[in-house]
Amino acid sequence: MERCLTELESRPEDSAQLVGEIFRAVHTIKGTTGFLGFSRLEKLAHAGEHLLGSLREGRLAVTEDLISGLLRLLDGLRAILALIEATGGEGTRASDEDSGLIAELAELNGEASDEEHAPVSEVAPIAIMKVAEGAATPEPSAAAAQPLVSAGQAVANGDKTLRIDVDVLNRMMNLVGELVLTRNQMLQSGVEATNFPELARRMQPVGNLFGKFPRMVRDLARTCGRDVRIEFFGQETGLDKSLLEAIKDPLTHAVRNSVDHGIEPPADRVLAGKSAEGCVTLKAFHQGGSVVIEVSDDGGGISTDRVLAKAIERGLITSDQAAEMSEREALQLIFLPGFSTAAAVTTVSGRGVGMDVVRANIEKVGGSVELESKVGIGTTLRLRVPLTLAIVPALVVRSGGQSFALPQTTLVELVYVPARDAAQAVERVGAAEVYRLRGRLLPMVWLDRLLGLKNSADSHGFYMAVLEAEGCRYGLVVDDLLAPEEIVVKPLSSVLREIGLFSGATVLGNGTLALILDIAATAARAGVKPVVEEEEQQQVAEVGPSNEESFLVFEDKARERTALPLGVVERIESVPLSQVEYANGRALLQYRGELLPLRDDGRVLDEMESDKSHSEEAAATVLICGDAGAESVQRIGIVVRRVLDVSTGTLLEKDADIGGAKLAMVKDRLTTIFNGFGTAMARGWRDVA
Amino acid sequence: MKIVAQHAEQVHDEDDSISLCSMFAGNESFGIDTGKIREVLGKRELQKVPMAPAFVAGVVPYRGDVLTAVSFRALIGLPDSSEAGCVLVLEDDNGQERFGLMVDSVGGVVTVNSRMLEANPCTLDSRCKWLFDGAYKMQSGLMVQLDPQKLRPSRLAETGMFRQGTSGEIA
Repeated sequence: MERCLTELESRPEDSAQLVGEIFRAVHTIKGTTGFLGFSRLEKLAHAGEHLLGSLREGRLAVTEDLISGLLRLLDGLRAILALIEATGGEGTRASDEDSGLIAELAELNGEASDEEHAPVSEVAPIAIMKVAEGAATPEPSAAAAQPLVSAGQAVANGDKTLRIDVDVLNRMMNLVGELVLTRNQMLQSGVEATNFPELARRMQPVGNLFGKFPRMVRDLARTCGRDVRIEFFGQETGLDKSLLEAIKDPLTHAVRNSVDHGIEPPADRVLAGKSAEGCVTLKAFHQGGSVVIEVSDDGGGISTDRVLAKAIERGLITSDQAAEMSEREALQLIFLPGFSTAAAVTTVSGRGVGMDVVRANIEKVGGSVELESKVGIGTTLRLRVPLTLAIVPALVVRSGGQSFALPQTTLVELVYVPARDAAQAVERVGAAEVYRLRGRLLPMVWLDRLLGLKNSADSHGFYMAVLEAEGCRYGLVVDDLLAPEEIVVKPLSSVLREIGLFSGATVLGNGTLALILDIAATAARAGVKPVVEEEEQQQVAEVGPSNEESFLVFEDKARERTALPLGVVERIESVPLSQVEYANGRALLQYRGELLPLRDDGRVLDEMESDKSHSEEAAATVLICGDAGAESVQRIGIVVRRVLDVSTGTLLEKDADIGGAKLAMVKDRLTTIFNGFGTAMARGWRDVA
Repeated sequence: MKIVAQHAEQVHDEDDSISLCSMFAGNESFGIDTGKIREVLGKRELQKVPMAPAFVAGVVPYRGDVLTAVSFRALIGLPDSSEAGCVLVLEDDNGQERFGLMVDSVGGVVTVNSRMLEANPCTLDSRCKWLFDGAYKMQSGLMVQLDPQKLRPSRLAETGMFRQGTSGEIA
């Protein structure tokens, strides 16, 4: 119904047909309610029918107000229906509201012509349906059938739904699961298998979900003073029913965001050379085993500068971090809890609860969220969810003579260690074994040992699956890798669930069973086991010393190397000498609206000043340093001869302090640590030391 | 001869006669009411479940479900057999829980009179006393009657009697 009305608004040229359908529906409702004795409903429906009649006869033009009135009528009818459903009667108390609404409808009607009828059409069929379902009267069912039919015609993409008992559905799911297994078996035996329309019963078109957006966007756009049109693509894309339910809220949120934050007010849009009407596009499509739903708008886009500024203001990141962030990383900040770039909190959004919830909800069902934005062009939010929860892509591995399935979503990469390299590849920290993967130490968990299985001879070396779940990353050592397979997850009995390591079982293509490993639980278990626990501790100990500070090494005084922790250096600027100003004998630099005191321990400026004759455009290299720890960022500039290197180093022991200067070994060369950042810096140093 | 005559008599007595499916574990024979048995799957290689309680023989696929199979040998304290066992599918009374039972082999169906059930000897160890309903005197020897209700994996786990068992074999 709503769709019909919003369609009517957007395509007035088709109004004759649409209004006709609506009118018929409302008329039927009116007749039926009268017959059933719901006089209040009848009155309202009558008013609507009246208004629609005028519309049909062309005495009224389709206006926004009129459609709004019709939509309100729809809401009113719904309210009465809910009442009927709850109490069995239509209630008399609220009748005042009705008369207001009826008066409004009449007024709408009267505006253009003498007095006629209008918008109720959509409401009525729904009302009758509910009466049939909820109210006591058995007779309406026959009557209800009629309006249902007309409603079905009225709504362009009427739902073709079927009610199925959940038990029946579950049994069907089981059978379909067997079908998938059979297909896998066929695939293994080399038989060309066509794709089963598997699980199609559980699949529902996302169009069902999109259906409510036209009205929402319309209402929202009016509240926010925007002019927005919504477009859909790929409504027929199927998605598991439970997933559809799960993405409903995130999607609603995303669409709201697009309308409220994304699309600019019409005046701004025109100034920016765009059409006054903004466009929100919902697009659904399949991509590599998952369903992607894109919510894009052609609005103002997200300015990364604003995002960064806001993030710093809210203390989510430091300005140092901000300076290092790529555009993509900066956009990801939007997903942090408590973040909103909206200048003002509106009733619709801007309270900072939003995108983090969107992401959390999507991730809960095993999906992911991406954001793309171009300033002035628009923003695209991409929700990616798996097709279904019951079938997951997995990698089947063997360990200790048994098969196990690892969900692909947790798999980061696979490493093969041949037997001859095994001795060197596995390094020991205490009793624990670690693997050096691109410079990082990865704790190794031997699946067969963890599960107490027989240790098979590793004559051919071993495979390591690098897994990541709930923040733990580790290498799971297995004997062999089998094929990746789509597996149907079967629940385990409670006794086996209590083991806590397996999230289910599945039947493989060769007919054998494989247990599905719960990656997060396995990680936890590996940490609990005494042997592995030691490993974890050692791991931490190992990280400690290796976590050396990074230094920016530069030369200020001639022949001396000085270093600054990389964290405090914000930028390296080349400043023309002419911009360096002096006040009170101190060198100052105007930098981004701030007055930076310049430190020139090596008298570089004086030297350059005297050399000025040689080149007119002499420029000094200035390190812009800020202390992020302080409340208000205190920046200074350090004039250096040249920047040498960025390197890691270790601070020397305290007793190495000579005359207040701290020394460090950086790349085996003695380096003075610049100290001149005041107390805040000293604190920072203590942390480093 | 006398026993046979008695037996024939009992078959006529509809109320008291029950049919038991006989099965073997070690040298003993056991019987379970045929009405409680859904299916006999025959010899199966079970998928073992690491870290599972000792009484769990493994898991077995059955009609789209994965059933947990109880090892009867482990329950009565016998060591694991080297040969694959026979798997029966049992169901609890209200059909909520299905599970497998692994025994050495399955015999035939015998009809007995439930009044002929002899109580467990008082010297039986506590585990078996809990597990066995009693024994029938058959021509070939004694047949112990089992109650499928007590063989449910969840029930076995609840009792805690079979926790320790022979779990050593895994480690």
